[in-house]
Amino acid sequence: MSEGKPLLEIDQLSVHFPIYGGVLRHQVGLVKAVDGVSMQIRRGETVGLVGESGSGKTTVGRAICNLHSAMSPDVKLGGQIWFESRSGRVDLNGLARKEMLPHRAEVSMVFQDPFSSLNPRMTVQQIVQGPLCIHEPDLDQKALDERVSQLLDRVGLQPQYAARYPHEFSGGQRQRIGIARSLATRPALIVADEPVSALDVSVQAQVINLMGELQQEFGLTYLFVAHDLSIVYHMADRIAVMYLGSLVEYGSAEQVYKSPRHPYTQALLSAVPRPDPDGKRAKRTVLQGDIPSPLAKPTGCGFRTRCPLAKKECAELVPELNDRGTGHFVACPVVE
Amino acid sequence: MSQPLLQVKDLHTYFNVEGQRAWACAGVSFDVLPGEFLGIVGESGSGKSVTALSIMRLIPDPPGRIDSGEVVFDGRDLLQLPLNEMRRVRGRDIAMIFQEPMTSLNPVLNIGRQVMEAVVLHENLSQEESRNRVIEVLEQVGIPDADKRLKDYPHQFSGGMRQRVMIAMALICKPRLLIADEPTTALDVTIQAQILELMADLQNQREDSATILITHDLAVVAESCDRVIVMYGGRIQEVASTRDLYQQPLHPYTKGLMGSIPQEDSKGKPLFAIRGNVPAILDFPPGCRFCSRCEQVEDRCRSEEPPLVDLGGGRAVRCHLVEKLPSNAEAEEAAP
Amino acid sequence: MAAYFARRFLLLIPTFIGITFLVFSITQFVPGGPIDQMILNMQASATEGGVGGSGSSVEIPPESLAALKEHFNLDKPFFVAYGHWLWDLVQLDLGKSYKYNTPVIEVITSRFPISIYFGLLGFFLAYLICIPLGVLKAVRHGSRLDIASSMIVFAGYSIPGWALGGVLLVLLGGGSFLDWVPLGGFRSEGWENFSIWQKITDQLHHTILPVMAYMVGSFATLTILMKNSLMENLGQDYVRTAFAKGLSERAVIFGHALRNSLIPICTGLGHAIGLIMAGSYLIEKVFNIQGIGYLGYTSIVDRDYAVVMGILVINTLLVLIGNILSDVLYVLVDPRIRFS
Repeated sequence: MSEGKPLLEIDQLSVHFPIYGGVLRHQVGLVKAVDGVSMQIRRGETVGLVGESGSGKTTVGRAICNLHSAMSPDVKLGGQIWFESRSGRVDLNGLARKEMLPHRAEVSMVFQDPFSSLNPRMTVQQIVQGPLCIHEPDLDQKALDERVSQLLDRVGLQPQYAARYPHEFSGGQRQRIGIARSLATRPALIVADEPVSALDVSVQAQVINLMGELQQEFGLTYLFVAHDLSIVYHMADRIAVMYLGSLVEYGSAEQVYKSPRHPYTQALLSAVPRPDPDGKRAKRTVLQGDIPSPLAKPTGCGFRTRCPLAKKECAELVPELNDRGTGHFVACPVVE
Repeated sequence: MSQPLLQVKDLHTYFNVEGQRAWACAGVSFDVLPGEFLGIVGESGSGKSVTALSIMRLIPDPPGRIDSGEVVFDGRDLLQLPLNEMRRVRGRDIAMIFQEPMTSLNPVLNIGRQVMEAVVLHENLSQEESRNRVIEVLEQVGIPDADKRLKDYPHQFSGGMRQRVMIAMALICKPRLLIADEPTTALDVTIQAQILELMADLQNQREDSATILITHDLAVVAESCDRVIVMYGGRIQEVASTRDLYQQPLHPYTKGLMGSIPQEDSKGKPLFAIRGNVPAILDFPPGCRFCSRCEQVEDRCRSEEPPLVDLGGGRAVRCHLVEKLPSNAEAEEAAP
Repeated sequence: MAAYFARRFLLLIPTFIGITFLVFSITQFVPGGPIDQMILNMQASATEGGVGGSGSSVEIPPESLAALKEHFNLDKPFFVAYGHWLWDLVQLDLGKSYKYNTPVIEVITSRFPISIYFGLLGFFLAYLICIPLGVLKAVRHGSRLDIASSMIVFAGYSIPGWALGGVLLVLLGGGSFLDWVPLGGFRSEGWENFSIWQKITDQLHHTILPVMAYMVGSFATLTILMKNSLMENLGQDYVRTAFAKGLSERAVIFGHALRNSLIPICTGLGHAIGLIMAGSYLIEKVFNIQGIGYLGYTSIVDRDYAVVMGILVINTLLVLIGNILSDVLYVLVDPRIRFS
């Protein structure tokens, strides 16, 4: 499946949010939330997108689902998001609402917080059938009911739950409802934005397993956005690591997780606590300080202010992703 | 063996839920030794936070109430102390840090004042001395330019820095027991690593004092704790040294929690997930509290709750099946 | 942030023009303008005086009619008239009241002290009583005191101020029942000649009932706002942190929770400014107090447009400035707020 045509091809995507200020509200700054990200997602694979909060990983997910134009009209988008839709290749980036609408059936999203991403005044039936009513308006109520109960059954909820409201469910069950909604229109690509980070460990495992099963069954393609590298490694075929709006490393899950090359990836990995007390307090590079504000990005390499390997040249040169062989891309000239 | 710093004996705490008593903490007993880093692990609803708040007598009343039991600290039962004496224990002898560093700090008071408050309250220091103490402790927890940041407000700090402020606030009176309730759950992995390292360093500096770390993340426990208590349904299910617990978890619940964490060799395979959800507090089954989700459940588990059996060598398990487990014999051999 | 407030002040100008333009156009286009009113008056006085042979109707010479129209700019197109009015306003000339035949500024300023007196007094008393009461109710939530005070407060909320004033006057004003307070007026006649002590007691005597009537409405909202706000804050994580430090309940409430819960109350202060000055026609009418509310009402009835517009200008400015003041207060009490 890895040889297939890419389902999604992101080319130099940038998402900039202008900041206005002053008496006349002129632009005083630019938050470069995403700055020149390129990656491909092949049909049927899972790409994990990892980074700290503030790295821009969620913004990439939202840009693919075209959620920015609705939420902040000032956003400045650049680059292309080529999507292999049923009706041909289309650039999703910055599509107008109407033009995007038909593609929403094919690209859906699972959100992080199962408590706030479901409308509390809608029944489960209404939530799950919502996308169907838009994309398959020919369905009558009987057909809708049937589809909803199939979907609920598939994500491990009893079909009679359809009449209930979200507050009657636990976090894990709500996330199952969110997954059922995202599956309703039989999408090709699901962008899952931290789908398990708000859940208890035991429920986390259930949802991860469910997502794996659904992928097998429906041939889904996932972009799995998360900050937890061990979960991403478990799920993903390939992993992209983001820092301050740019990709710093990109490769197969094994390459990135087992032999990380970029100093940021290495630090991120060493920060992940391992459930192994013998390995504890082994040598670890604890990253100092916080991720800088995307408003005041360091010149050159964005990571140099926290990088243990930083050199003088890092302040001048913006590193580019270079193939280190067999599709392992690293954006750091120091670690050749 | 040295005298325990804190002894919790048969602690019972309930909440009034829908007119019924919901036992959030049902007969919890454990000791904390000086110099120990003790972990309490469990999912939300397991009673771990209620146990901690009961030790501090911070259960909101109503709807909650500490019903019975003893919390012996320094030869005194804290539950019997008059409130004004209990207040002198809080913050001076036993301090606590909480999960959400943003909401746990008062947004309208500057951090200098908030950190200083406990010192002014508990120690007879001049304004000048208190101020120096605040700067000293802020520097100790790794806040750069501490003297210049006293007038800053919580929102001017990043999440990790706020949690450092919380730790400084807790440590300023050099308490002998520090209770940290999910201190890193809201933080990024890299920042979590910083905070855990800081807490371990601080623990090493304070020889006779102890730390209780409450978390749902077994990996975090493995990183930092000497000994672990696993809780479920308001009861202790398993006690062991960290190493023993990870090498040989005995309770089916502990095994389930371990299996839920993705490991390097679990990639591509489904995770071992505990079925179902943590029941609502009033819906725990009779008999063993875990029987509704246990894979190895037997008839007697549903009617009769197993006692917490001391296996020697610092291990204890609450499970009917524990004699049957082949690992039990080895555990007994290992015990002196 | 300075830029934000500068922008807010600049935005006052178009808002102000918009409001006055709207009201100016209404006064221009409704029938029964000042000239009609003046003609009516003249006719009435002529009839009473019995001057003039033709009895019921008095001819106004066309020249003086034109002069009148010119005075009110009614002979000019609407926009020109509005422009004239606005230009005068910029020079702080609000025109002349035809009814009192004195400059509008003087008419209004002569009433201001009365309205400010009642407004400010009611305002401060409300805050002085409601904040402690709200705090007490929050701390003793569910107690008998909480429930009883809620009942009183809500009963007060459902009675309009002027109605309460009327009832109290009947009961206490010396008519049918008790004779504790005077029937109305701002002060007794001959107040100027009283001794200091008499002046004070007489003033207070006249003040009690109107102030109660002014306050009764805002009492419930303010008390309940204070109570809910404090209770919400007492449930916050930072309050638990404060208890964990070993602080007493008192210290936690007054040192931590109260300041946060005053934020919504403080921001209401700015808005209250407009209300303080505005007075209330009905209450002033009941108590026979010559305040701004009364003046505004009678001016509308008499088509004394210069005064109406004058009051409107002042109130609009006060409300607009009050809004900005609210934002300033927000910044002062809540360090998290930074407008940009």
